[in-house]
Amino acid sequence: MPKNRVAVIGVGETVFKNNIVDKTYVELAQQAAKAALDDAGLTPDDIDAVVFSMAPTQFMGVNDVDKWAVDSVWASGKPFMRVHTGGATGGSALHAGYAHVASGMYRAVLVVGADRVTETPDAQHVLNLIWDLFYEHDFALNTVTMTALATQRYMHRYGTTEEQFARVVVRSRKNALKNPYAHLKGNITVEDVMNSPRMSWPYKLFDICPRSAGAAAVVLANEEATKSHCSRPAFINGIGGRTSTVFMGDRVGPFADAELSDEAEFVSAGKEAYAQAGITNPMKEIQVVELYDPFSSTQFPQLESLGFCERGQAQNLSDEGAFEMGALLSVNPSGGTLCSNPIGVTGLVRVADAALQVMGKAGEGQVAGVQNALSTAIGGSVQFVNCTILGADYV
Amino acid sequence: MDTYVLGLALHPASSWVADKRLEEMVFDTAKAALDDAGITRDELDHVTIAACDELDGRSISSMLLSAPAGAYLKDEIKVTDSGLIGLCLEAMRIESGRFHLGLLSSWNKSSKAPFEDVMRMRCEPFYTRDIGLNASIADGFFARAVSDAYGISESDANSAVRASYQRASDNERGMRAAVPSLQEIEASPYVAAPLRKMQQAPVTDGGVSMVVCSGAWLKKHPHRRPLARLSGVAWRVDNYQLGEKRLSALTGFKESFQKAIAMSGLRDLSQLDVVELDSQTAFHEMAFRRALGLPDSCNVSPSGGPFAQNPYFCTGLVNAAEAVLQISGRAGAVQVNGTKRAAAHGCHGFAQQGNAVAIFEGA
Repeated sequence: MPKNRVAVIGVGETVFKNNIVDKTYVELAQQAAKAALDDAGLTPDDIDAVVFSMAPTQFMGVNDVDKWAVDSVWASGKPFMRVHTGGATGGSALHAGYAHVASGMYRAVLVVGADRVTETPDAQHVLNLIWDLFYEHDFALNTVTMTALATQRYMHRYGTTEEQFARVVVRSRKNALKNPYAHLKGNITVEDVMNSPRMSWPYKLFDICPRSAGAAAVVLANEEATKSHCSRPAFINGIGGRTSTVFMGDRVGPFADAELSDEAEFVSAGKEAYAQAGITNPMKEIQVVELYDPFSSTQFPQLESLGFCERGQAQNLSDEGAFEMGALLSVNPSGGTLCSNPIGVTGLVRVADAALQVMGKAGEGQVAGVQNALSTAIGGSVQFVNCTILGADYV
Repeated sequence: MDTYVLGLALHPASSWVADKRLEEMVFDTAKAALDDAGITRDELDHVTIAACDELDGRSISSMLLSAPAGAYLKDEIKVTDSGLIGLCLEAMRIESGRFHLGLLSSWNKSSKAPFEDVMRMRCEPFYTRDIGLNASIADGFFARAVSDAYGISESDANSAVRASYQRASDNERGMRAAVPSLQEIEASPYVAAPLRKMQQAPVTDGGVSMVVCSGAWLKKHPHRRPLARLSGVAWRVDNYQLGEKRLSALTGFKESFQKAIAMSGLRDLSQLDVVELDSQTAFHEMAFRRALGLPDSCNVSPSGGPFAQNPYFCTGLVNAAEAVLQISGRAGAVQVNGTKRAAAHGCHGFAQQGNAVAIFEGA
């Protein structure tokens, strides 16, 4: 149990799109910070500390860009740190912010970040540089080809078809129609996905997330500040994280501790978070999940590893409509990462969208009766994973 | 605070570690810290990392380095500001009550990165990048501003260089560089007036790891004896723009000390026996001393600070390790007898935009 209760009391997001030309990077971060502060009914002076969420700065071209953003997010004169765990950054930043408040050292903390992935002409080249200089740079290895390999393995193990992944894309784009901030949205068909250009088998273009610019922020508060400023907070009832080896080959075969294609690091991370939150049956007790899903194949293994169904069953439940809005489990009512991916803050967007559901502020995308929501984030070679459980009641 | 240091290790200082990959440096240091604490990796419930992609030359450096840092299948978070900010996060994770036994690691193989190119790319693209600002030039601005604000002469700075190298010469964990003469310092070229080359602490390769635990963990393991208790930790960030006021006011530096002192339940700085400062230049050393008004009873940087070793990104955490060694009586030739409380300072960003202070005392 944490020493102090922690709740999300304010959420701010910008629109996510290819390019945001009327704002600099730091102005973008400020827009999200101000939105979160306004949502919480706070001013910058009410914030005791700031955590900045930003993944590789090579995407936008300024090293340690968080330091440039200090004045724009009203952090000057305050404790400030930047968290970076690749694609998992936003979730890790939230967990770092949680530690600020749970430790009793701070009353109200702003977690904020921004990204402009399209500032670089080729994000996948930057993402090739994440690999080992001597052994892996020279392969055509990037996040698309890397996860395509894992997806092929998942298909082999569970008999999943490309059409089943395509249905995930169709559902996500449809859900995103109700999210005013989503980058990609629309009513498309399985055929549209199947007919989109082939990228790396089994991926077609529509199986892959966009490169987005945008920002997000949340305000975390202790019990006292929560009572003063928020009538319907989202309590952070559980957190869990796991870091695995970078080497994908060590995560396949009979001696693997955590199977690559299952994203099995989520099993122990989820169990840890569930134990804190008192969740014993995720499918019955959690109504909404906001999964980090940059590819159409990323949802199924996460749902299975997080205990929502048995291995190989998520694809069938998806086909049956169990993951539609308001059905058995509302999966990514925001449209998820498949529809918006500002990498340095995507994990934070997942938390923000899950918190909005618990706080009853998700607008047209609101799912009725949300008591518990779960958000996830993934980074590196699918090696950094974390999850957060938000609840309407404190556990 | 109820946070303790159980064990630590410093990688041997070197201007260029040529016989190891960075992964090997990190592994060796993390393993040595676990051994020092008598802890196995299986016992850890979390890991905290402090590292810089740009200085490591990788887009996500922890992808290859988290496992050597002991994080395989552990709950791990990385910060990118500095090694000592890693200790700040580690302390909060322990204090949260969620975690009880962790390994903190930070490193910098400075020899493998084009240091000033990395620093220049920290400039925002609209105003400062085109003028070619880098770390040395930012420190030159700082030197000019604090010279005026604190009455620091070139002679003061040169004497501070010699004094720092003199202290460092006794530190077996440092580079043990020869102490330069005043003439050599005066004859070294300007890198950014008034800052001369030999007034800067040379960057080195290095790494540091610490095993940190909660008081609750210690109660369950009464046979374990911690090296020190972390009694206070504070950190601040200042404005990004290098205006005169920002450079000379040392606001974040002073506030970090004040807050850490208060958190430790101390009256003032006079109760500190040792202060290890992250003085990247002799002007920093003089400005920091004068801004704090440190009493004569306080031993400042007995390790030699960055002039002993300066793995730039983690120098503040090296200072923390030196402070813990002082508290536990293991500082060797640079031991200050009777040290009961020691503070470690670290800074980061252009002209020390960010500052952090940790205070340790006997457990």
